[in-house]
Amino acid sequence: MFASIPPSEWTLQAAAHLLNRAGFGGTPGEIQNLHALGQSRAIDFLLGADEESDLFPAPDLELIAPKIRKIRSSYLELDKKEELLATARREERNNGLALRYWWLRRMRETPNPAREKAALFWHGHWATSIRKVKNPLFMYRQNETLRAYAFGRFAPLAKEITRDPAMIRYLDLDSSSAKKPNENFAREVLELFTLGEGNYSETDISEAARAFAGYRINKETGAFRFEPRQADCGTKTVLGTLGMHNGDEVIDIIVAKPQCAEFLATKIWSFYAETTPSKAFQKALGEEYVRTGMEAGKFLRVLFLSREFYAPNVVRHQIKSPVQWLVQMCKILEIPLPPDNVTLPIMMNLGQNLFDPPNVKGWNGARAWINSSTLLLRYNTAGKLIRGGGGTLPDIDKIIPSGLSPEQSAEALAWRLFQSPMSDQLHDQTCNFIAANGTSAAARRDLLHLLMATPEFQLI
Amino acid sequence: MNQTLHTRRRFLRSSVLGGALSWTVPAFLERTFFALDALAASSPIQTLTGKDGPILVILQLAGGNDGLNTLVPYENDAYFRARPTLAIAKSKVLPLSGGFGLHPELVGLKSLHDDGHLAVLQGVGYPNPNRSHFRSTEIWQTASDSENIERHGWLGRYFDSCCEGSDPAVGISIGSPQAPQAFDAEKRRGISFANPSQFRFDVRKSSDPDAAEEFFRSINEMDHEMQGESIGMLDGPTNADGETLNFLQRTALDASISSEKVLETIAKTKPKVAYPSGKLADSLNLVARLIAGGMPTRVYYVSQGGYDTHSNQEGTHARLMEELGAALSAFTADLKEQGNFDRVLTMTFSEFGRRVSENASRGTDHGAAAPMFILGGKIQPGFHGQAPSLETLYKGDLIHTVDFRNIYATILEKWLKVPVEPVLKSQFPTLGFV
Repeated sequence: MFASIPPSEWTLQAAAHLLNRAGFGGTPGEIQNLHALGQSRAIDFLLGADEESDLFPAPDLELIAPKIRKIRSSYLELDKKEELLATARREERNNGLALRYWWLRRMRETPNPAREKAALFWHGHWATSIRKVKNPLFMYRQNETLRAYAFGRFAPLAKEITRDPAMIRYLDLDSSSAKKPNENFAREVLELFTLGEGNYSETDISEAARAFAGYRINKETGAFRFEPRQADCGTKTVLGTLGMHNGDEVIDIIVAKPQCAEFLATKIWSFYAETTPSKAFQKALGEEYVRTGMEAGKFLRVLFLSREFYAPNVVRHQIKSPVQWLVQMCKILEIPLPPDNVTLPIMMNLGQNLFDPPNVKGWNGARAWINSSTLLLRYNTAGKLIRGGGGTLPDIDKIIPSGLSPEQSAEALAWRLFQSPMSDQLHDQTCNFIAANGTSAAARRDLLHLLMATPEFQLI
Repeated sequence: MNQTLHTRRRFLRSSVLGGALSWTVPAFLERTFFALDALAASSPIQTLTGKDGPILVILQLAGGNDGLNTLVPYENDAYFRARPTLAIAKSKVLPLSGGFGLHPELVGLKSLHDDGHLAVLQGVGYPNPNRSHFRSTEIWQTASDSENIERHGWLGRYFDSCCEGSDPAVGISIGSPQAPQAFDAEKRRGISFANPSQFRFDVRKSSDPDAAEEFFRSINEMDHEMQGESIGMLDGPTNADGETLNFLQRTALDASISSEKVLETIAKTKPKVAYPSGKLADSLNLVARLIAGGMPTRVYYVSQGGYDTHSNQEGTHARLMEELGAALSAFTADLKEQGNFDRVLTMTFSEFGRRVSENASRGTDHGAAAPMFILGGKIQPGFHGQAPSLETLYKGDLIHTVDFRNIYATILEKWLKVPVEPVLKSQFPTLGFV
């Protein structure tokens, strides 16, 4: 089913497509380097890079919740208390913003973009929002878990997530006890995280919920803690399997179902390839995922080698997410991520606040990213960055060297911006613009802006 | 070249503002054109020219407005017991009827009541109320049950199911470039902007803005569009991007045309009355001008924030009430001057009311049911629904007597005159305020 493309089809455009989808794109030079490796080694390069966390220091976050509790229970005067609480809450809010910016910067700077892209996939999958969790440190720890398991096997990741304080808080698992099992978490595990609707019953939800009772958070350290007194050690029947299952065993039962592999493999495919696969193709994806031991890195390797991934209805058919759009734009313009006070409002207004997906289903993505307001904001932001409004003025001579003919300029721009030839119409308009307006640096900047303010630039 | 440009721009302006025909249809999408034709024949599709038809204005009080101090039960002892420092004395309340009166700062709203333009809906909420701002707002915006997550907004579903083929500006949200979740839709999402001057393709920093605009215009095929060239003459996209690219091109065209139209409309209309200062009044001022300018918009959405009054509520809430009443009063006067008041129904809502008992910080915490206001020239004024008990509470919160979806259903069926079920996904009984 998943035949690799022949070496003759490993073109520069194929390499660009791989870099766009597996990571956040790059400059023409980076694409050339990737292409020169050959397909197989290019994929290894992307998926096999070393962990570089020591190069990227963790954000400086502290656990504020115990501080807030201490203020609350203190014997201070009401006004003083309110003031201290407001300060602590403000600190927590600022930490949340710092964390959001930290991840975006990491995506921009990392030598290992495929890992960040995969972590972004898992963030949308195990959607958890700081709005409810409140605690930026919990969100950061979850982020590190997603990064550590980004290319790893599914079951261990799922087990980690059931113990993840951010998720526990987000889906109220910490209020679940044997006497009153909370079904919120178990429901989302089955419906959104593993099997998908229609592959389990209401009884499975309530039985699974019993197995996750007693999962708690240590209030002082913020670490996971298991509370045996709240746990339910009785027998449960989950998806037809009877036993005294604990939470991990429930995950094993779920993950062993072929529907789980199919559900996840389809979701991974859709994130990277963004087509709606046929039923038969979904089945094939699921089987391949099982064959690769449900290990994301191995599975992605098969996808990135496959003919299907380079099909004409896949290449340049994905609408960039706001994160992709921004990070890739910075790479293309060869500028750092703009400062937080520029970047964060843009991301919010474009509809992708990291650590704050709209609900437990994650971002709808695809066409939902685009409406008339977000499109105009993308267009205008591109103009701002091109003219230095992101704190760094892009070097226009690198992007459109002076002294090129209009034709050559159009080709250089097509390759840098779209990684594919322009439509004839766009090509002609570009050449006409250069002929009419000349090649001063300002005119080249204008042209660059205009070409980034196009529907075509929203695609990878 | 410049001569052509300016002629084109003039042509564009006159044709955009003159007719609703060309700009509703992205003509280069031939099949869309045919699809629209087919759809127009079947109800409940609405078309509107901008000069007639009902308009809905949604005013969100964000943060959870304290309903009890907005519509004060000033003869109820339980109210005074629960609010030792925050209760508003009978002598200060602006009395309406039945032992209920308005917050003393809602003078503007009181006079609208006296003129017979105000309907009050009491005890509005939903089963299993959620006390999270985020989740409860989502429930109101998507009209979902407390237990379910709905993908699209209720107004978005109205746009999708009842406004097929109509203007991209079928819904306009003012105050933030981020559309309210209520506008989330499969196809027609309306438009939103913080400030109309930002809702445009900005070429002011270009070295030659005219040349830049000309280029942008030609990329977006606006000139073809506006000059009414026949569909057959236009090239389709020459690359293979197909559907997705078409979608983007269509959205880009929508954006260009709506922004042009919004800016033109605002430039040519002036408010007929003086508005107070403040963000809400500014937003309502823009809404009134867009209505006066004949925008074909069915729904306007504005919001006023700051209602999350956990501590020292009194002064903050009074300021918000004053701003609300004064803004609504100016908006109403403006619409009356325009002769459009009878076409407009304004609805306020908040994600929840607040706890009945005040907290230890002279504030109130997140609660549940609360009153809603409906304003308009053609509504049934007075009280609708039953006031919730102040003594039989659920976890310290008022128990709702009316589901908010009954209000949505009433507005859909009796005001916008569309079937309820495609929008709310189930039938809800309507009320008598329209």
